[in-house]
Formats: sequence, structure tokens, C-alpha cells
Amino acid sequence: MKNFFKLLNFEVNRFFKLYLTLIGLIIVSQFIGAIVESKVYMDRTDQEMYKNQLSMSQYIERHGVFSFNYVFESEWFLLPIFFSIAMLMIYVFFIWYRDWFGKNTFIYRLLMLPTERITIYFAKLTTIMFLVLGLVTLQILLIPIEIQIVNSIIPTDFQSNFSFYHFSSFEIWGWMYPNTFTEFILIYGVGLIFVAVLFTAILIERSYGLKGILFAIVYGMVSFGVFFAPILLNELSSGYFYSLEVFLMLLVMSFIVLGSAIWIANHLLKYKIRV
Amino acid sequence: MIEVKNVMKKYGRKQVLKGLSFTAEKGEITCLIGINGVGKTTIMKAIMALTPINSGEILIDGEKIRKESFEKVTFIPDTITMLPQMKICDAFTFMADFYKNWDPLRAEELLQFFKLDPTERIANLSKGNMAKVNMILGLALNVDYLLMDEPFSGIDIFSREQIAEVFTSHLIEDRGVIITTHEISDIEHLIDRAVIIDNGEVLKEFSVEEVREKEGKSVVDVMREVYRR
Repeated sequence: MKNFFKLLNFEVNRFFKLYLTLIGLIIVSQFIGAIVESKVYMDRTDQEMYKNQLSMSQYIERHGVFSFNYVFESEWFLLPIFFSIAMLMIYVFFIWYRDWFGKNTFIYRLLMLPTERITIYFAKLTTIMFLVLGLVTLQILLIPIEIQIVNSIIPTDFQSNFSFYHFSSFEIWGWMYPNTFTEFILIYGVGLIFVAVLFTAILIERSYGLKGILFAIVYGMVSFGVFFAPILLNELSSGYFYSLEVFLMLLVMSFIVLGSAIWIANHLLKYKIRV
Repeated sequence: MIEVKNVMKKYGRKQVLKGLSFTAEKGEITCLIGINGVGKTTIMKAIMALTPINSGEILIDGEKIRKESFEKVTFIPDTITMLPQMKICDAFTFMADFYKNWDPLRAEELLQFFKLDPTERIANLSKGNMAKVNMILGLALNVDYLLMDEPFSGIDIFSREQIAEVFTSHLIEDRGVIITTHEISDIEHLIDRAVIIDNGEVLKEFSVEEVREKEGKSVVDVMREVYRR
């Protein structure tokens, strides 16, 4: 266990500089977005009011108050998030492959540590989860600040009553910020299983070379099939099962897929891995 | 003792190791000799479970390799096993963090012997100095067995001399060493046993001292005989 935490700390530190850059990018871009979008709204509002000789209340009556959609659906807000998601997706692969390639083959050292090799897998998996949850938390912290920025630019009469609760009701963010703890566990649990299966697929490729690419694809497809089997079964039987039954079947399948990903990874790291 | 018994290994369709067997005793330097591509590195990796074997058995003091074995045997590959952005001292901290058998005093002693600066980044080291750091990472572990893959390959003459000097010091004494080389002249005077490998098989395994005394032959003489057969 001690070695797991040491490896976890080590893995997190390896990504930390890039992670801080991502955090910086999100903060700067979203803050700029909040300022720019508010200013643009105010300019537009002023012009409209001037052109049509409208009072503030008449304008609000016609066009409504400031909508936070302007900010939260703007490129300033979305692009750094999509960029971070893309970076983390790439990092899921990079976290393994960089240890094999390049001038310094660090995988030698990792595999020669006097610890169970599966610890390396768990440390890398936990690192990815930490990085994802870190960014999700950052966004939660940024929302109230961004609301403050907007409210400092937009006059009170134009301000809408907006909170984080409204933000999570956006369709696009609903899956990232679930409303209940159960939903949170389910959504991020699926994410964890997805990354675990990808990790195992990478290890299959690393163990069997070119043939491994094919095995990895087949393994990925089988895992996907097993995971979604209950939904497919329910569809084929025209909704024969109760939602709770489908949910329970999905839960069982999740454990099977996750358990087999870990079991296969453990077996590969112990007996099949190639450096 | 490290026992390699009838090990077979295929890379795709190519049979790299064809029932290779040999033993390496503690307190002796065993050299695996052979031209490039005969399977020397593969056998080292197989001992460390860094590549799977198709059949056969490898035992370290009578046991198959397990996590505890990595405190007993270590491998110094021909490439550095630490991250380039690390300083030498960071690499030492990493080793101290994970290995109970890491000896910081010995690491310090070796650092001074090789005249290396602990604050130097690994990425900035010359090939010779990188080989020396790699050597320290293995030698500063209190292990019974050391596996070294081509430690003299591609480095300057002075670095070679320094590394060769280590072999005659207390740092190697009492340990079992398996070393690979395709240039035997560098270490002929240092080795106790030689295992000549060709095409994935052991052609001859012998005590260097015995052959020298009884037959008056050097390792190179024996190699010549074996390869001309």
C-alpha cells in the first residue's frame, strides 16, 4: 500500500507542470470569456437601447435579462474544457507509452520495483481519476467567481439570478455535474471502467506486439458488449425488464468488466509483458 | 545461484532461444559471450521477467522470480532506467524510496569515485556518465546478483577503465554477476566463467581460470575454436 501511494505521488508529479498549465489556461480563458461576453452584451444592449430609444425596463421586457448561456456556451468557456478533456484522453495512452519509448526506458525501473506490478496499474489509474476530478472541482470553484465577474460588469437590473445549481442543469454539463451522489458514482464509475479497459488494452498491445493490437481491439469490443448487454437485452425484449432490473444487471456487468480488466492486466504484467 | 534451464523463446516466427541452459554462481562473474542478436539481452530480460519465455525455467536461489526477488537481483540494461528530467540525486531518492536494500553511502562513494555531480540532470549527461549513473543505480543496491547488459558498449576508454575498476573492487566481491558483451577483450581478465552463445544455444560453458591453466587458452582462443567448428 505504501508503494502504491509513493507511485501515485510520483505519477501525479510527472504530469503536474502540464496540469498546472491546463488549470492556468482554463482560469485565464474563462475569466476573459466572462469579461468579454459581459462587455459584448452591454455594448449590444446600449446600442439597442439607444437606437430604439428604449428604457432599461422596456429593453428587459423585450429581450429579457442577461443569460449566463452567453458565457457558459461561449468558446472562451468551452474550448479550454474540451482541450483539457482531449489532453487527458491523450494522457491515458501517454501515461503508459512514454515509459517504453524515448531515450530513457523508465519501464525497466517500474517493472523491477520490489512491489506487485499491478500497483503500477492502480497508481496510473488513480492518477487519471485524480486529474479528472481535480479539473471537475476546479470548474465548480470557478463558476461562482465567474458569476461575480459577470455581475460586476452587468448592471443589477440586467442580472439574472444564477447559481451553480443552474449551471449543472445545462444539458451539456449534466453528466459532468450530476445532481445526486449515486449519479456521481455511476457516471464517474463508468469513466473509471472505461479507463481501466483502455489501460488493459494498452497492456495487451505491449505484451503481444502487432498481434496485440488486434487482441486489444477485440478485447475492447467484448468489454463494451458485455457492459451494454443488459441495455441491448432490454431493447431486444421490447422493454421486458424493469428499470431497476436493468440497472442491477448493468451494475453486475460493470463489476465483471472492471474485475476482468484488472485480472487480465495483473496476469499480463506478471507473465507476458515485454520491454 | 541463478539457474537458466532449457529456456525457449520465440519472437514471432524466429526462435531466439533454443533450449538455453547455464548457471551463474554467487561470488563469480559469469560472462555471456556472443555476437549481436544471439539472445544475450533476451536472456537477461527473461531472468528479470521483463519478457516472457515459451518454455523452460529460470530460478534464483531455487525460486521463481517474485516481487521480493527484486531486492535480491538487479539488472543494469544498456539504457538508463531513470527519467531524463531527474537530477542524479532525485534518481537516488527514488531508489531509496522503493528499495529497502538501497545503500545511500555506497551510492555516495560511487558518485565520488566516478566524479559525478549529484545535481546534474540525467538528460545532460554524456553517454559515458549515463552508463556510470546506471551502474551506480545497480551497484548501490545490496543485492546478491547483478545482471549487466553491455556495460562498456559505446563509451569512451576512460569511462571503460573506471567501470572495469569497479569489477575488481569490494563493490562486486561476493556477488554473482552476469555480464554480456560482444567485445570480450575489455573484460577477459575480470571474468570467472564464460558462456558462449550462438543462435540461441549455449555452445560452451567453462571456467576461464581452468581453461587458462590446463589448456593455456584465453577466452578468445576458445571462442575461435567454438565458432570455427
